[in-house]
Amino acid sequence: MARILEFEKVSKRFGGLLATNDVSFHVDDGEVVFLIGPNGAGKTTVFNLITGFVKPDAGIIRFAGQDITGGEPYEATRLGIGRTFQVVQPLAALTMRENVMLGTFLQHPRRKDAADRADQVLEFMGMRSRADQLASGLPLAQRKLLEVARAIGTGAKLLLLDEVMAGLNPREAEEVVGLIRRLREFGITSVGGVEHIMRIVMSLASRVVVLDQGRKIAEGPPAEVVHDPKVVEAYLGSKFVAEAKR
Amino acid sequence: MRRLPRWWPTALFFAVLTSMPLWITDGYVLQLIFRVVIFAVLGMAWNFIGGYAGQLSLGHVAYFGIGAYAMTLSTERIGWNPWLGVILGAVLAAIAALVIGSITFRLRGPYFALSTIAAAEIIRVLVQNQDELTHGAVGTNAPLLFQAPNLDAKFFWGAVPLLGAAFALSTWIHSSRFGYRLRAIRENENTAMAVGVNPAREKLLALLPSAAFTALAGSMYASYFSFVGPDTVLTLEISVQAALIAMLGGAATIWGPILGSIVLTLTSEIFKTYFEHTHLVVYGALLIVVVIFLPGGVISLFMRRSQFRRQAGPIGSVQG
Repeated sequence: MARILEFEKVSKRFGGLLATNDVSFHVDDGEVVFLIGPNGAGKTTVFNLITGFVKPDAGIIRFAGQDITGGEPYEATRLGIGRTFQVVQPLAALTMRENVMLGTFLQHPRRKDAADRADQVLEFMGMRSRADQLASGLPLAQRKLLEVARAIGTGAKLLLLDEVMAGLNPREAEEVVGLIRRLREFGITSVGGVEHIMRIVMSLASRVVVLDQGRKIAEGPPAEVVHDPKVVEAYLGSKFVAEAKR
Repeated sequence: MRRLPRWWPTALFFAVLTSMPLWITDGYVLQLIFRVVIFAVLGMAWNFIGGYAGQLSLGHVAYFGIGAYAMTLSTERIGWNPWLGVILGAVLAAIAALVIGSITFRLRGPYFALSTIAAAEIIRVLVQNQDELTHGAVGTNAPLLFQAPNLDAKFFWGAVPLLGAAFALSTWIHSSRFGYRLRAIRENENTAMAVGVNPAREKLLALLPSAAFTALAGSMYASYFSFVGPDTVLTLEISVQAALIAMLGGAATIWGPILGSIVLTLTSEIFKTYFEHTHLVVYGALLIVVVIFLPGGVISLFMRRSQFRRQAGPIGSVQG
């Protein structure tokens, strides 16, 4: 399988904080990988590094074999990296269709074509009936899905979903999981970032990469990773690990 | 009953506007409407960058002044036809926009607004101090773009196509990919970048026609009043008016700047007549009232709420 993303020995320092400390991982075409780690582990920074919102101090980032280290965010998008933001940012004054059109305009310069493509994406997401609704009136779950739709609309081959489950109830999270499964069928590789090790995420991910305080502490199939003492320690503290061993 | 085509209000508006000199015989009234038209062009031009892209420029007078001075000085110093000077003004304004834009667009919010004021002030000071070339603070006569008789009507008919051109460009921006990208930049630059938009480039692309149209309005305004001087075509007041007209009427809408120009030009004229010395106070108070109670501009009175929201963000969403 082809490597779609390679993240090699990347470091990023913000003042005195090493937000990303010599982290390496890769993602293969068609995989679903989750970055997990407690609050402040550096998941968002990794997403920002891949998409060029933050420039690395060291390391190399490749997308489909091409070196994209230090590129601009809009260049990453044009290459085929779509992303959603942890804090959802729909354009409130625009309708859902128009929001998705912002994405589809990238490959369809004409308004009519962009609108048609946006409708297809909304159809795929099961949101077609609300295409004419304003984004400002949407509940959180719908706004998150709208962000995903906009990213898909850009024609992304790799989708970075930052905390796409946060704030959703279990049923809504299930919906997102189903969506990510369908994305894979469409040839879109997803990398999700989540704070909690959720059962549903575990069933979805082919691999998980665990970050803690900017370092990668574990990587592998979800079933193995959850039993890794370092992972348990990162989430629950060393005392818990010691007690569990007794 | 058959429905009228969607463009009929536009056709009707421009037909009535064009016919005005034929049935308005009062020179003062015609002059007032000429000013409404010129300031509508100014507001529309500002709207490209200030309304759609949400970049609160308070330095548009720079382009206005460049237009007025380019026409005047190219005619006076090198004997050009003043119309050629008008075109020169638009080109020079676009070049100035490229320079000013590439510097000021690095800043965001209030810092951007202040830097545009500074850029305009630099141009005013330059003009004021280059006596040899520009006649300094005293100013000079601007050439006439039209010959007597019927000057008022001719100027009016000169200004209407300019409004038509600005209107056509507005209409295109409003529903094109470019316009959507500008709105995305206004709402959130990170989101804009995440959909593949290069904000710096798009902002410059919006500023170029904005500056050119502002320069065209400036040269026509100066020619009509036959005068250019730092105090008339390079004052902060004109920058503020450009922004106010667009926001008062409805930022990021096609008709907003026209409504804004009608309201602003007429009310300031009325206040000047009745309040002479205090008119600026009354005028300022009116603006505050409109901004508080009609944040979407006067145009929001004419549109159903949902329809309006679809077209424009309220002033509050214009990131300074």
